[in-house]
Amino acid sequence: MDIDQQGDLGEGSSTNRGIVSPGEIITSSKEYMRGHGTYVDEEQVVSSLSGTIERVNKLVSVKALKQRYTPEVGDLVIGRIVEVGSMRWRVDANARQDAVLMLSSVNLPGGVQRRKIESDALKMREFLAEGDLLVAEVQAFFGDGAMSLHTRSLKYGKLRNGQLLSVSPRLIRRLKSHFHHIPPPCGPSGVDIILGLNGLIWVSVGTSVESREGGEGFDAEGVYSNKNDDITPEGRQAISSIASIIKILAMYNIPLSDILISSAYEWLSSQREDDEDGISAEMGKRMVEDLTGVQVTAAA
Amino acid sequence: MMTTAGPSHPPITILKRTRADLGLAQNKFLKKTAKGKVLSFLRERYVRDDIPCGFEGCDQCRDLPGYKPVLQKGYRHTKIDPHYLVIDTNIVLHQMDLLEAFPPDLALIIPSTTIRETRHRSLPLYNRLQQLVQDDERKVWIWWNEERRETATHAEENEGPNDRNDRAIRLTCHFYNQHLPIGHPLIVLLTDDRRNRELAEAEGLVCCNTKTYVDGLVPEVRQDLVDLVVGGVDAEVVTRGRRVYEEYLSQDVLNAGIKTGRFVQGYFNASQYNYLEGTVSGILLAGRQAMNRSVQGDLVVVELLPKAEWRAPGQDVVDADVDQRNDDVENEVEAKEKIQENVGRPVPTGKVVGVVKRNWRAYVCHLDRSSLLPEAQLASLSQQTVFATPLSVTLPRIRLRTRQAPTLVDQKILVTIDSWSPFSRYPDGHFVRALGKVESKEAEQESLLLEYEVPYRPFGKAILNCLPVEGDSWKVPPKGDLVWRDREDLRDLIVCSIDPPGCQDIDDALHARELPNGNIEAGVHIADVSHFVLPNNPMDSEAASRGTTVYLVDKRIDMLPALLGTNLCSLRPFVERLAFSVIWEMNDDAEIVNVRFVKSVIASKEAFTYEAAQNRKDGPLKDPLTQSIRLLNTLAIKLKAARMRAGALSLSSPELKIHLASSESAEPIDVEQKQLRETNSLVEEFMLLANISVAAKIQETFPATAVLRRHGEPPKTNFEALQDILHKRRGMTLDVSSSKALAESLDACVDPQRPEFNTLVRIMATRCMLAAEYFGSGSVSKEAYRHYGLATPIYTHFTSPIRRYADVLVHRQLAAAINYTPLHPSLQSKSHIEKTLNVVNKRHRLAQMAGRASVEFYVGLALKGAARREDAFVIRTFRNGLAVFVSALGLEGLIMFKDIEYDAENYIITVGGVTIGVFDRVRVEVGVEKDKNTQRGKVKMVMIEPVNQTL
Amino acid sequence: MASSRLEILNDGGLRHDARRPYELRSLSLELSTHPNADGSSTVSQGLTTVSASVFGPREPKQRAGSVHDKASVVVEVGVAPWAGAREVRRTRGDKRLLEIAAAIRQTFEPVIMTHLYPRSEIAVHIQVISADGGILPTAINATTLALVDAGISLIDYVTSLSLGLHLTQPLLDLSAPEEADLPTLVVAALPSGKVTLAQMETRLHVDRFEEMLTLGVEGCGVLKTEMDRVVKDRTTRVVERMDKVIQGRITGD
Repeated sequence: MDIDQQGDLGEGSSTNRGIVSPGEIITSSKEYMRGHGTYVDEEQVVSSLSGTIERVNKLVSVKALKQRYTPEVGDLVIGRIVEVGSMRWRVDANARQDAVLMLSSVNLPGGVQRRKIESDALKMREFLAEGDLLVAEVQAFFGDGAMSLHTRSLKYGKLRNGQLLSVSPRLIRRLKSHFHHIPPPCGPSGVDIILGLNGLIWVSVGTSVESREGGEGFDAEGVYSNKNDDITPEGRQAISSIASIIKILAMYNIPLSDILISSAYEWLSSQREDDEDGISAEMGKRMVEDLTGVQVTAAA
Repeated sequence: MMTTAGPSHPPITILKRTRADLGLAQNKFLKKTAKGKVLSFLRERYVRDDIPCGFEGCDQCRDLPGYKPVLQKGYRHTKIDPHYLVIDTNIVLHQMDLLEAFPPDLALIIPSTTIRETRHRSLPLYNRLQQLVQDDERKVWIWWNEERRETATHAEENEGPNDRNDRAIRLTCHFYNQHLPIGHPLIVLLTDDRRNRELAEAEGLVCCNTKTYVDGLVPEVRQDLVDLVVGGVDAEVVTRGRRVYEEYLSQDVLNAGIKTGRFVQGYFNASQYNYLEGTVSGILLAGRQAMNRSVQGDLVVVELLPKAEWRAPGQDVVDADVDQRNDDVENEVEAKEKIQENVGRPVPTGKVVGVVKRNWRAYVCHLDRSSLLPEAQLASLSQQTVFATPLSVTLPRIRLRTRQAPTLVDQKILVTIDSWSPFSRYPDGHFVRALGKVESKEAEQESLLLEYEVPYRPFGKAILNCLPVEGDSWKVPPKGDLVWRDREDLRDLIVCSIDPPGCQDIDDALHARELPNGNIEAGVHIADVSHFVLPNNPMDSEAASRGTTVYLVDKRIDMLPALLGTNLCSLRPFVERLAFSVIWEMNDDAEIVNVRFVKSVIASKEAFTYEAAQNRKDGPLKDPLTQSIRLLNTLAIKLKAARMRAGALSLSSPELKIHLASSESAEPIDVEQKQLRETNSLVEEFMLLANISVAAKIQETFPATAVLRRHGEPPKTNFEALQDILHKRRGMTLDVSSSKALAESLDACVDPQRPEFNTLVRIMATRCMLAAEYFGSGSVSKEAYRHYGLATPIYTHFTSPIRRYADVLVHRQLAAAINYTPLHPSLQSKSHIEKTLNVVNKRHRLAQMAGRASVEFYVGLALKGAARREDAFVIRTFRNGLAVFVSALGLEGLIMFKDIEYDAENYIITVGGVTIGVFDRVRVEVGVEKDKNTQRGKVKMVMIEPVNQTL
Repeated sequence: MASSRLEILNDGGLRHDARRPYELRSLSLELSTHPNADGSSTVSQGLTTVSASVFGPREPKQRAGSVHDKASVVVEVGVAPWAGAREVRRTRGDKRLLEIAAAIRQTFEPVIMTHLYPRSEIAVHIQVISADGGILPTAINATTLALVDAGISLIDYVTSLSLGLHLTQPLLDLSAPEEADLPTLVVAALPSGKVTLAQMETRLHVDRFEEMLTLGVEGCGVLKTEMDRVVKDRTTRVVERMDKVIQGRITGD
C-alpha cells in the first residue's frame, strides 16, 4: 500500500493523483480531519472508497469514481413520481432515499400566486401521477435525510416531448445553468437538454426562447399535460442523435457539458452520410478521441 | 505470477492462463448415471512447464519440483542399446507379470495417460503398477504427459478415446526425443497395438511389440521372461472350434437390464461341492453354460430363467478332477455332462449374461499331469499347451502354454488367467513363476500365503528406517526424558503377563490389588505400540496394508518388524517397557466404580503360561504376585457371569494345536485340541473389559471416526436349516429371537449320552453367524454398534496392537481422547478410516482362512504317515454321500456311497440297510490320498462304522 | 466398468487439473459489467463465473426493510440454467441458494459502512453464470468488486477462498470434483487478517482448522493484491481521462 504517499496526498504525479482503494491509509488523523469517503482507525485516516483524494485545507475526503447522487440544496434534479400521498408526492430522484414534493411546493394552474384549496388535494393525481417525470430543485432536507423538492419556477415541472437518459452523477458538474438548447439545424426547432445533477438527463424537442424563459405567462394547459406535441421525424431524429452522443460520452466517462454535446453533434454531422442512422461503436470511439484527445482503447 | 512468502509451505500463487493455452483449458466428457441420464461434465485443466523429465543430469529439469535422476545412462539388455522403454496401457493391462519380471535397471517411462487408463480399467493392476513405480530399485519414471505443455493433448474431431491416448503416448516419445540431449538413449515405444505401431513408425519413432522385444533381449534375461509374454503377436482372434459359451451382452444392454430389474448384478460364488454349480445373490447357476465363464469373485450380471426351468441345487457331490480327467487340451472334445436328475424344491435359477468386473489374480496351481504330451515328458523344451489345476476347488482349470512343462510337473506354480474366449471351455492363462516342489514346506507355505493374499515380503529399508536407531539396545530412558511426559510410573506395580507357551509378542499384562477403601484396583497394560509406530510413516503404511499378523502353524508373518513385535513392544518380564494402561476401580461384585486410561511405564514381574499361572493360583504360595492372580481370577469369574447373564454367546469353533518335532522338520508329531484353563478365561475377561471401556471412551470423544468392532445380529433365516434339522432329528428347538435366547437354547441342546453333541451344535450355530467387523463409528447408526456374540452395546479392539492394526488406530484415538497427543488428521477423516478398516477387515478374514488352511495342511501331513480312525459326526447329507466332521482333527470330509437311498426331508440316508442321519456318530478312517494328476494330497475319509466301506 | 473416482492428488503432487496444492485457479476480474446497476462486476475463478450487481443505496423496495440508523443489505442469488451447478437446484427458494445469500449478507454487513446510509437499502444480485466449485467465495469476491464499483463505503476489501484437506495436505481454491470429495472450508477475510466468514460442512479437528484458517487468510491476501491492482488500474485510467477532458476544455475555452 502506498503509505509513503502520505506526505503528498493529492499532489502526486497525474498518473496516480492520490488514487486510493478501500482500506488504504491516507494520512494521520492528528493533522487532518476526515471527510466523506474516509474513516478513522487507530489515528489514521483510511479510505473507504476507490477514487481520488480531495483536500480542502485540513479536510481530507475521497471522491468515488461513481456513486449514487448525494443531493445538496439548490441542485437541479430530474425525478419520477413513485407514489401519490396526502398533500405530497414521493419522487425517485436516483438518491439514497426517495425525495418528497409537497403540494405546497408546486405551481398549480390558475396563476403563480393562486392559493391552494382543499379540492386541489383531491386532484393531485391529475397534476402528477405515478410514473410522471419532472424537473425540480432541491429545496431543503427533512430530518430523516430525505430531500424536499420544489417546482415553483416556470422552468421546472412535468417533462414531456423527449427522452430520459441515465448517466453517472459524477459526469454532471454544477454549472451556471443546467438547461441547454442546441439550436437548429439540430432538428427543425433545435433540441433542449436538461442535465439533472442526479445523473438523469432529459433530451426533448426544442422550444422557443420565450417559452423557455417562461416570459409570456403561465400556460395552464401545457404544464400538466400528459400528451406530447406533434414532433416531426427530423425532430425525433435529432433527439435520438443527441441521446446517442450523450450515451457514448458517458460510456467513456467523459464529463458532460452543452459545448461538448453540441460540438459532438457538429462532428457527427460532418462525418456522417445523410442516410446513416445511429452511431457505430467504431465511430463513437473516433468521436471521443477527436473531441477530447483521450485515447480510448477500451471502454472503462 | 504473484507470490507471498510463507515459511511452512510453498508460496500461494494464482495460475495465469496464457491465450495460447486456451485450447487446453478444459476437458469435456459425458457420463451416464445409474438411472440412465446422460450428464455432461466440464473439467478445467492447466498445462505446466515445471514437470521434470527424470533424465540424469538434465539441465532444464534439475531444479523442478519432484525431479529425481531416475533415467540413467547406459544399461545393456539388448543388442541395440542403450534405450528407454515407453509403454502404453495395453502393456500394463496384459503384460503386468512381464513388467514385474523385467530386470530392475531396465528404464521405463510410463506416461500418466497409461496410469490413468489403467486405474480406470483395473484397480488391482493399478495397484501393482503403483508398487512397480514406487520400487526404488527400479528405474521407472512417470511422465505427466497431459500436464506438461508440450505433450498435452486435446480431443480432436472423430478421434476415439483410445486413439487419443495412443497419440498422447506417441507425443511423449517425441518429447523425449527432442528434450534429451544429443546422443541420448534410444526411446522405444513398446506396444502390442499394430495400428499404433504403424502410426508411430510413420512418425519416425522406434517401436516394438512385446514378443519381438523379449526375443531381442540378451539370452540370460530372455530366458526368464519368455514364458511371461501374453498372447504373442497381436493376439489373433481364435474362432476355430465350436462355440461353447454365449457371448456376453453389451454394456448398454446390461445396464438397461439391471435398471429395469430384468437382470441381477452380483458376485459369482462357485459351489464348494459341485464344480458345475454356482450362485449369484441367491440365484442358482446350474451347468457350465449358465455359469458362462464366471470365475469365483467376478462381478457378473445374471438373467433369471422362466420359472419352468428352475432347478433345485444339486444334491450330488461332483468332483471336477474325476469328471474332467479325459478333457483334451488341444481339442475341445465335449465331455458328456451328466444332466442330473433333479430332486428337491426348485429355487430361482439363472444364467450369466455379462461380466461387469473380473476378479482375476494369480492362482496357485498344479500342472495337470495327464494333459502333458506323452513324449514331452521326456524333457523336451518345445512349447506345449497344458492344463493347470488351481488349488482352490472353486476355480476352473486354466490352459496355458509353456516351454518348461516337464520341469514344472511336480511343482506348485503361480498362474494368472488372461482371457476366456467363448470358443474355449477353459480360460487361457500364463505361467508366472514356480513356487517349489509340491508338499515341500516352503512351496506349501508360500502358496498358502499367495492363495490368501497375505503380504509376506520382508520389510523394506524405508520401513526398517522407522525403527528406533538404538535397535535392540533401546531402553526406557531415565525419568525426566521427553518420553516420560504425561506418563505414569507404574514400575512398582506387581504386573505379570499370561500367554500361551512360547509366546514372543506379549502385548498384554495385568495386575490387581486391594485398595484401602475396600475396593479393588485392576489394571490391564497393553504394549504402547503407537509410541513407536507414528502415523503415516512407511512402517505405519505397511502395517496398515498388512492389517494383522498372520499365524501359520510353523510361521508367523508379522505385521510389524520383529524388533518391535517381539522385543521393544513385547511386555517381557524383568525389563521396563512403555505401556498404555486401563485401570479400573471395582467393588466386590466386579462392578466398575471408576476407570482411567493412562500412558505408563511398567516392569512385568513374571511371564506365565496359562498352565503356569493356573498352577501358581492353585498352589500354596501367598506372595503378592500369586494373590494378584487370585484376585484377578475372582473378578474374572464374576465378570464372566455378568456377561453370560447379559446374553453373551459361548460359541465354538474347533481349534487345534499342532506339535512339531522341531522347527526344522515339517513332520508334525501330534495333533491335539487346545485345552482351555481357568486362566485363559481370566485373561479373556479382562481383555474384553478393557476393549469395552476403551470403545466407550473413544466413541464419546470421536463420535464420527472412532474405530469400533461390531458383530451384527444374524438374520433369522440363517438359522432356518439348523432349526429344521434339530427339530426333525432331535425334537429340539432353537430360539433365535435374541442372543440371550439363543445362548439359553444352545445350553439346552444336550444329549446326556453324548457330551460332544452340544459342541457340535455350537459349531453349527457359529457357522450361521455373521462375521464380526471393524467399522468407523460414523458409518452406521448407533444401534448397529452392538456386538451380538459378546452381547455388549459397544466394542473395539485395543489389547493387541502388536498384531492387529485396528488396535494401533484405537491406541492413537485413545491417546488423543486423554489429551496425550493431538489426533493425527488422517484419523479424523471418515473416509480414510473406512478405507483403512476395509483393508483390515479383509486381511483379518483372509488371515483366519490362511491359518486354518495351514492347520489343515499339517493335519494332512500328520495323516500321511498313518491313517487314523476317529469318531465323526454327520453334519450334512447328500444324495450320494455324507459330510462329516471329525472333531479330534477339526476336519470336515466327504464320504461317498454308491447305492444309497436319500431322504432329503428328514436328513437321512440309508446305506446297506443302515440308516444314518445328521448328528449321528460314525467312525471313519481318515487318510491321505494323492491325486495322480494334480499331485494334490487330499484328505480322504472312509466309513468304518456303522457301514464298513473298506470291506 | 470400473468407474474410478477422481485422484485428488497424484504421485507427482499434482491435482486433477494439474495445479499444485497452493496454486489458485486462473482469475479474471471485470468491473462495471452491468450498465444499469449502480455497481457491478464479473469474476471468474477457473470455470466458475459469477456476476454481481449492486443497486443502491436506494429507497428500500419494501418498507419493512427500512432501518432508521443504517442501510439494510439484501442479497439475492440466482443460477443460470446452463451453469452446470449440480450442487444447487435452480429454483428460487432452494435452500442452498438461500444459504449462500445469507452467508454473503453476513459477510458484508460488518464491512459496509451501513451507518452512512440510514433508511436505505443496498441490494446485491448475484448471478452464477457457470459453476465449477467455490460458488460462495467467487460470489463474495464479485460482491466486493461490485460494491467498490458502486462507490459504497467499505472498511476494506473482503476476499474469499475455498480450501480443502486431503489427508494432511491442504489444497487451495477447490474445483467442483475436489469440493465433492474433501472437507471444505470457505474463508472470507479482510486484508488485516480479520475473518468475516469461515464456513464448513464437515467436521475437522481444531488443530487442522486453525492451520487451514491461517492458510485461507493468506490466500485471501493474494486475491486482495490482485483485486486492488485491477481496481486501481481502472480508477487511474478513468481519472486520467476525466482530468484530460476537463483540462482540455479549460484551455480550449
